[in-house]
Amino acid sequence: MPLQAPEAAGPSLDEWLDGISDGFEAAAGAAEVHELPLRVAERPVRILFAGRPLREELGRAVEHLAARGDAAPELTVHAWDSDRVAPPPLPEAEPGTPRGAILYSSDGRRSVAYQVGLGQLSAYDRQRGRAWFWCRSSRALPFWEPSAPFRQILHWWLGEHGLLLLHGAAVGREDGGLLLVGRGGSGKSTCALVSLAAGLLYAGDDYLAVAPGAEPRVHGLYCSGKLEPGHSKLLRHLPAPGFEGDAAADEKSIFYLGDGFRPQLSHGFPLRAIVAPVVRGGAPRLERLGPAQALAALAPSTLLQLVPARQETLSAMAALLERVPAYRLEVGGPVEALPAALERILEEIRA
Amino acid sequence: MRYRVKSPHVISETVGGETIIVNLASGHYFNLQGAAVDIWTALERGDASTNIVADLERRFVAGDGEIRVAVEKLLAELAEAELVEPDGEDGAGASVPTAPAAAERTPFVAPSLTAYTDMQDIILLDPVHEVDPRGWPHASASA
Repeated sequence: MPLQAPEAAGPSLDEWLDGISDGFEAAAGAAEVHELPLRVAERPVRILFAGRPLREELGRAVEHLAARGDAAPELTVHAWDSDRVAPPPLPEAEPGTPRGAILYSSDGRRSVAYQVGLGQLSAYDRQRGRAWFWCRSSRALPFWEPSAPFRQILHWWLGEHGLLLLHGAAVGREDGGLLLVGRGGSGKSTCALVSLAAGLLYAGDDYLAVAPGAEPRVHGLYCSGKLEPGHSKLLRHLPAPGFEGDAAADEKSIFYLGDGFRPQLSHGFPLRAIVAPVVRGGAPRLERLGPAQALAALAPSTLLQLVPARQETLSAMAALLERVPAYRLEVGGPVEALPAALERILEEIRA
Repeated sequence: MRYRVKSPHVISETVGGETIIVNLASGHYFNLQGAAVDIWTALERGDASTNIVADLERRFVAGDGEIRVAVEKLLAELAEAELVEPDGEDGAGASVPTAPAAAERTPFVAPSLTAYTDMQDIILLDPVHEVDPRGWPHASASA
């Protein structure tokens, strides 16, 4: 969809990033800065939060990746809101622009994405290894944001290192695991979260990093899980939700699994298979899935959520499907039967 | 008629003998099977429709006019789905077919295009506006 150019001339991308950076510095001068050193996909990353409320909102889903912070960060993310300071320079959307529109600009070295309705700005400077995340207020984040923060920035940064940020869940063992893919409502979150009760490792239920090389590997990013409020009642092993969703408002409940499942939160494991759950009812039923069907389950839900979506990303996903087998798993019956079905896949691959 | 794939908003990949196409503008995605895979590959190469028909007729066994009708029908479906757009008349730039000899021809499998619209809500909610690399508020030249 085209973006109509406003009449007034605006800043260059360079000037604009300078303005964004200045915005964070102003916030850092008005509130205490909280540093969170992490290890993301085996690389040192540092997040600087201006103000404790934002640290508490957006830090929780990545706490399990906390590192000592003695390595020089390859990426530093600067996060702030405008509870105390003026917003950074923002583009003005044309009247009638859909509330969820993403305004995106990149010159290859620097990238910026602004979510108009949400009032969230993500920016990335590849050469400097610096990124910025701004939101209007830590008190007005959409319910899903704290469960998977900074994903647009991670999408840019991971891509620089040959990794894919994928929409999916992952569970497994130290020696190998499964990537669960499909659109929302396909059952991947239920499969992943019920697997915690069976002792499987958990690398995430919504977004993951995947190294698609000769030996594909999943890297966990977030220790959160999202479920429809009705489904969460079936999984009594889960901790109390960090956010209790209202089904009538199309909200999901958010669980933070550092509470009670920390030993099972995995930083990653070799990827052995891709599984596309489909809600059908009855006992879990498993069948092999052709690579095209697997690509259709994997690719659109990832490509349509993040910018930029490129041909190379789709090609990398297709190459991944040539290296690992894919299965279709019919679910919908008793959830207790799901972990055994997933373990069966892992055993079949080992055999 | 010559058609061009509407890249970069349309991306595709062929795996396991089938092609998956994603229209990033509409949020729809598609599965191509049978001769549709060959036709799509030819479109990506920039082949004109007459060349596509001639190439398929050299490679596959089919009834009189069957391949031409099938190609025209698929091209119309692809255009309707906003995956391709007209790009001039047949002629200059036509590729040279590298099809096997007639003796090696195999039965023609009619092209099949299946559309999936279950992801379009994402695009309706979160359309992406790509703008000029100089930054806002300069509009993209392609906008």
